[in-house]
Amino acid sequence: MKKFDTDAIGETLLRKFAGRTSRRGILSRLGLAVVAAPVFPLLPVSRADAAKPDRSPEAKTAFARNAQTKDDTKCDYWRYCAIDGALCTCCGGGMHTCPAGAEPSPVSWVGTCINPDDGKAYLIAYRDCCGKPACGQCGCDNTDRETQIYVPQFNNNIIWCFGTSSMEYHCSTAVLVGPAG
Amino acid sequence: MKTVATICRSLPVRALALALTLAGSSLSAAPADTVASVEPEEANVATIPPPALNWFYVDGGWGTTGTSIFDGETGKMRGMVDTSHLSDMAIDPAGKYYYVAESIWSKGGRGTRQDMVSVYDSAELKLQAEIAIPERILIGGRKQTFVLSDDGKIAFVYNLSPASSVNVVDLVKRKFVRNIELPGCASLIPNPGVGFSALCSDGSLATVALGGAKPQITRTAPFFAATDNPIFDNFVYDKSKREAIFLTYTGDIYTAKMGATPVISKPFSLQAAAGIRPGETKPLDLNWYPGGGQMTALHRPTGHLYVLMHMGEYWSHKAEGTEIWKVDVAAQKVVKRIPLKDPMVNVAISQEEKPLLFLNNRKGDGIILDGTTFEEKHKIENAGSGLITVAEPG
Repeated sequence: MKKFDTDAIGETLLRKFAGRTSRRGILSRLGLAVVAAPVFPLLPVSRADAAKPDRSPEAKTAFARNAQTKDDTKCDYWRYCAIDGALCTCCGGGMHTCPAGAEPSPVSWVGTCINPDDGKAYLIAYRDCCGKPACGQCGCDNTDRETQIYVPQFNNNIIWCFGTSSMEYHCSTAVLVGPAG
Repeated sequence: MKTVATICRSLPVRALALALTLAGSSLSAAPADTVASVEPEEANVATIPPPALNWFYVDGGWGTTGTSIFDGETGKMRGMVDTSHLSDMAIDPAGKYYYVAESIWSKGGRGTRQDMVSVYDSAELKLQAEIAIPERILIGGRKQTFVLSDDGKIAFVYNLSPASSVNVVDLVKRKFVRNIELPGCASLIPNPGVGFSALCSDGSLATVALGGAKPQITRTAPFFAATDNPIFDNFVYDKSKREAIFLTYTGDIYTAKMGATPVISKPFSLQAAAGIRPGETKPLDLNWYPGGGQMTALHRPTGHLYVLMHMGEYWSHKAEGTEIWKVDVAAQKVVKRIPLKDPMVNVAISQEEKPLLFLNNRKGDGIILDGTTFEEKHKIENAGSGLITVAEPG
């Protein structure tokens, strides 16, 4: 049985981030967090096994059991399992496209969602589009594997508009990163 | 006395013309004897008493500004603290000030970012000072991102940039003191005589001692599963006992006694304390779970914890509560379950001997319940959907 591995997710994300992001002030600050990680891990390495949830794709959450793959302007679209905010697909943007005039954040929070068509788990990066007033359309708040702010990379309440010229939140995209695990 | 001609020179002509038109029409419609008895009024501004134990401070919620002050006894609004979008508010324990940690830009949504702790006096609610700080986290709806030391002299402002750190602010001198890097930890707790503590992503509690030349950071052994069964970061802290009470997604309750080396209790299950099956992390398991935004409130005098509960599956931790469970934390017993007419997202309790409960929902409607009979005393439309703050006894 395949399990979601949150440590591997973090590593995948950092690699993607390193590969795609231009050099900005944000990098030095993120670098600080990453460099410090071996001393004070950002990602959990120690867990109480008794409390460990079944993270297998087969053990579907309520969201996963009801998710669909046809309409990406609805909150139950499969990639939105941990999204919070306005869907950019309803705001003039797309699944990985910010609406005109908005600026994508170079960093994101993440979710691991199951595609009901193949039953497999995929890593999704929720990237905020920033620099315009709140879109206000298609507000969703899904919480599969969503954590609190001391595990920020899985928290969907934080305004993730870091490294953009404005931190004003407009809407959220759901970028497919790849298979989870 | 100012003549009309004098006023004309001192006011914009268009506005005055409107005012004169309105005044003329109302005067002509009023009976002659009423006109004769009307004394000219002076426009003035109210002042309000210091924070009262039965007042509730209700943040407008995401996307709105302002924190409304409601008198729990009458249900009437007493005033509003100027809280900007995504700001955090704290009440001075001496009752003289309200503090607002906020981030504003010089040109509205753009321009130069300015982060600060703004100081308002509690009588006139006027801005007294702005204490500039480095950046702070932008999130809203979190209680432990801006906390005061128990004596009210120091403020701790959490920052995520996205490196994690804490800004220390001297509220007496009204000066920023220092920024302390704290990777992997957030959700701050005042730690009297030591500094502050914070929950961490490895499941430990970090303590930052501020006494020396450099801050000293120590950690407890990991005691909770930060990713798999997180502690809600809107937990409660009781300064009379110097103790925080933590609640996890499944319903496990821990207490943490603050000190140089905080002591964490063994957890107990909230559901087991109510005589039902403990909450579990596995999907497809329908049970009562805690959830909402600010889902716990502590009545310090009795040590009773009030928790918003809903029926659902694991990972439904933001769902509004359909019941309040009243927990005797020391006895590890749920002593009462109170069904709610409408689901609620936030709960707070006044710290009086006979307390009042304030609850609101995501639409922003609030209710005030008698904390003994749980009868609804007041319903307030558009009270605000954000965090609810109460004053604590000195």
